Amino acid sequence: MTEEDKTANPVRGEVLIVAEQILGELQHITLELLGAGTYLAGKLGSKLSCIVLGHSLGDIPQKLVACGADTVYVADHPELNTYRTLPYRRVVCNLLDSMDTPAHICLLGSTTTGRDLAPRIAAHFETGLTADCTELDIGSYEHKSKLDPTKVGLYEGCLYAIRPAFGESLKARILGPWKNPQMATTRPGQMTPLKPDPNRPGRIISIPVNIMTEDNRLIIAETLREIGKGVKLQEADVIVSGGYGLGSKDAFQLMYNLAACFANSAVGATRKVVDQSWIPYEHQIGQTGKTVRPKVYIACGISGAIQHRVGMANSGLIIAINKDVDAAIFKFAHHGIVGDVFQVVPEMIRQLEAVKQEKEVQTVVSAH
Amino acid sequence: MPAPYEIFVLVKQVPDQGSKAGLNPDGTIDRARAKRMLNPFDRYALQAALNVKKTYGGRVTAISMGPPPAVEVLLETLEHGVDRGVLLSDKRLAASDTLATAYALYKTIIWAGHYDVIFCGLQTTDGDTAQVGPQLAERLGLPQITYCQDFRIAADQVYADRIIEGGYQKIISQMPLLITVANSYHRLEYKSFHGSWKVQQLLRNTEEQNKYIQSVDLDVIGADEQRCGLKGSPTIVAATEKVGEIGGNCSMHEGHSAEELVGEVVQSTNLQEFLAI
Ligand SMILES: Cc1cc2nc3c(=O)[nH]c(=O)nc-3n(C[C@H](O)[C@H](O)[C@H](O)COP(=O)(O)OP(=O)(O)OC[C@H]3O[C@@H](n4cnc5c(N)ncnc54)[C@H](O)[C@@H]3O)c2cc1C
Ligand SMILES: Nc1ncnc2c1ncn2[C@@H]1O[C@H](COP(=O)(O)O)[C@@H](O)[C@H]1O
Repeated sequence: MTEEDKTANPVRGEVLIVAEQILGELQHITLELLGAGTYLAGKLGSKLSCIVLGHSLGDIPQKLVACGADTVYVADHPELNTYRTLPYRRVVCNLLDSMDTPAHICLLGSTTTGRDLAPRIAAHFETGLTADCTELDIGSYEHKSKLDPTKVGLYEGCLYAIRPAFGESLKARILGPWKNPQMATTRPGQMTPLKPDPNRPGRIISIPVNIMTEDNRLIIAETLREIGKGVKLQEADVIVSGGYGLGSKDAFQLMYNLAACFANSAVGATRKVVDQSWIPYEHQIGQTGKTVRPKVYIACGISGAIQHRVGMANSGLIIAINKDVDAAIFKFAHHGIVGDVFQVVPEMIRQLEAVKQEKEVQTVVSAH
Repeated sequence: MPAPYEIFVLVKQVPDQGSKAGLNPDGTIDRARAKRMLNPFDRYALQAALNVKKTYGGRVTAISMGPPPAVEVLLETLEHGVDRGVLLSDKRLAASDTLATAYALYKTIIWAGHYDVIFCGLQTTDGDTAQVGPQLAERLGLPQITYCQDFRIAADQVYADRIIEGGYQKIISQMPLLITVANSYHRLEYKSFHGSWKVQQLLRNTEEQNKYIQSVDLDVIGADEQRCGLKGSPTIVAATEKVGEIGGNCSMHEGHSAEELVGEVVQSTNLQEFLAI
């Protein structure tokens, strides 16, 4: 390539989103990716496309168009019903291989599916992949380092993949302009979906599915989704959440007792205690549970792992009770109480009850 | 491939998060300045590997790529009962991204011989990508189970629970395969007395140590140096920027009685507004 060719803005390949559905339910991350993809494709002057894999997908392809896709590739096959690494990888790689102009960018979610699939696609094409991005953009980049002379040059239309590094204390901008598709996964909850517009024009194209026997070395016996709708975590003003620090199932009673002090409250939990069967799944908050945004979040005996944090970090006021002063939760809580939950929580209940009684007396007095 | 099994586990030495590692101008880590430790996520992978050996019989090989001090984490795995260590160390590997790392580990694994199952940690605390495992599986042409929370083996099939959004998948896979182990898997057990004793012997005798830990470089494993290190890495860290901790500035309450601690919080926040009255 001459210097001129590199900057001459050749016809750019599309921005491809790999959609995600679980048991026929389109995942929110896909809408977020379409929002981000619309922005990137606009800046590049290219098209936004989306591939969805599954079986009997209903109106999902139309939804994808309404949410921003110019083209939707549909791979419909009984074997694609549930996500499996090898068959999905096969179909997505075949699609990318078949494009006349290679896709410029390919994006997936930083979900358990995206983080499983994206590295395989990237390794297949020997292209760069940045995990868990919180921002994406397009810009130019001049590579000057002479360590590898083949890479030196000015590159336009590069994907800027921006992600936290070192326990979120740094933000790194990662680039890989030498090879297409430039790939990234994005952290759920970071990108903004477009408002669906049922009148948006878009093409829906059915693509061939060629699964090989070797892709069936692994099968899914069952998919268990346990998110219940019964627990009103999303509507509660105050969430009292318990973690492994509670030590036992019985100790959750303490969480209910504290929650009972508040008018509109619910009890939440970490995945670790759900896995111990101390409390049912519908209470789980985090990456693989619910995302909540209460006015007050009281975390009791919770370490503050990133998978939990992403589900509750936007709460209005976070109060953490943990006996380990170095616990990660104290890095993002607003108030941290270093102490034993079994001393702190009963004391909190006692003081809140006292305030309540005082207020009740006042209300009664002022009513007279 | 009936038991006993050849079990591989991939472990990485990472900078201790407690001692803030410095960054080089190009955004890579200054490993010389940082305190070192076994990647915490790899402890679960190690326990998974040891459990297979304990339950079904076999031999565990721990593999690591890193500068020479990485031998420390291999010795640590020997203390826990690993049988053999392989260390890939080569200056030409510097600044490898995940693709280049996966390529080099792939060549190391082929060199190390037959395997039935390969365990990886979920992710590293320094790279933090969770990509190396699946990229390696792609190179090796293996099925994979990521986010594996528990598993058993029966009739040379692996039955596993895999974490997904809002639940689990029950998976059945043929061997050989690659598994990345979730941090909700069983905790790493204590070092064995025998293992610790053996490592003490090895530390005194280099010749003996070389029997248990094989050190290899790119030439030994027959790797193409164009695909390693900076040259083999399609990504580059173009810029880094310090960010304040999200939320940040936590008001800490400590050192007093529970009554005082709670009192401080109840008085200084709007908690009272939400009481049930
Ligand atoms: C793919 C994947 C998805 C995940 N999804 C989620 C998710 O959606 N939600 C989620 O929560 N997790 C999720 N996790 C798990 C997550 O990584 C952590 O393992 C989990 O959040 C830890 O739960 P915990 O804080 O209750 O337990 P721990 O990490 O064990 O923390 C317990 C804390 O309690 C403290 N403690 C102990 N005793 C006391 C005491 N008496 N008083 C006060 N403090 C005490 C300890 O100091 C410690 O900090 C996921 C993991 C993976 C791999
Ligand atoms: N340099 C390395 N040496 C050995 N194993 C590694 C190395 N880098 C990554 N791994 C393995 O791949 C997993 C995921 O790493 P990462 O993709 O960096 O998050 C780790 O938990 C290790 O099991």
